[in-house]
Amino acid sequence: MNILLLSLILCLAIFSLIAKDLLHSIIALSAISILSALLFTFLKAPDVAITEAAVGVGVSTIIYVWAIRHTKRKDEEK
Amino acid sequence: MKKTSFFKIFLTTFIISLAVLPIILSNKSWPTLARDYLFNQAFNETGASNTVSSIYLGYRLMDTLGETLVLLVAITGTMSILLNLHKQTLESVETESSLSPEKRPQNALRTNLVEVVASKLGPIILLFGLYVMLYGHISPGGGFQGGVIVASAIVFLALGTEVKTKLTNSVVLSRIEAFSFISLILVTTYVVFFTDGFFSSIATDSPFVSASIIILLNIIIGLKVGTSLAVMIIAMMGGQHAH
Repeated sequence: MNILLLSLILCLAIFSLIAKDLLHSIIALSAISILSALLFTFLKAPDVAITEAAVGVGVSTIIYVWAIRHTKRKDEEK
Repeated sequence: MKKTSFFKIFLTTFIISLAVLPIILSNKSWPTLARDYLFNQAFNETGASNTVSSIYLGYRLMDTLGETLVLLVAITGTMSILLNLHKQTLESVETESSLSPEKRPQNALRTNLVEVVASKLGPIILLFGLYVMLYGHISPGGGFQGGVIVASAIVFLALGTEVKTKLTNSVVLSRIEAFSFISLILVTTYVVFFTDGFFSSIATDSPFVSASIIILLNIIIGLKVGTSLAVMIIAMMGGQHAH
């Protein structure tokens, strides 16, 4: 179970690095946070799991989305 | 370009795995001295059955004060950047996610769904955050975790338009934050007189006193973290939001 969660986290991390749209990267990052919270719960660290879920999914996602809204898209063709 | 970025990612992962490999492969057992001491003594000395909160609010209280200062400095820096940003682009703050309806452009794709659901969910999340904050000494959780949940509840209340509350006003939030920070400093320095001196723990002979101080500190830290994060996010989403 832990191996499965860790490999999912790794896949999502690679996806968030290579994704073209930064919004997709943010969604992948919050999915990583949820999976990490699940992993921490399995490893009997509920305090860390609560922190990871609250900070990773809630606050940091809002901050990333706000930062992306204030930047402009820049492609290679244009 | 795509292939080189793939190659870079795999190279970085490989190097990091090589660096971590000796730790995974080593047979040396972890040191158990502190773990055994805390397992046997933490409840008797601090009165908190959650050992994590007995560490960071009992034995290591000064570290927690420093941690709160780090958060304060981070929020202050973010707020100064945000205020300058709003000053420069005063006419272009019209965004779809702006909190006050008159700032939004007319053609913004927005339904009432978000506002209704957010204002219904907000009070429930606020209650859960207060629960996590108040029961930090006997169940998983604590001041910081509860504070972050309270902050997201305040953001939900600010997004919704059904509930009219003073809690989403930045001035009120800033006052709560300043008050809780002053009380945090007062409590952490007052604790010194109970015990051996500066930089000592609050683990005393009477667990009742320690447990009460831990509950008080959980409430103070939760209010501090929650209100400062809420002020920052409300400022990000379009400044003052007065109901």
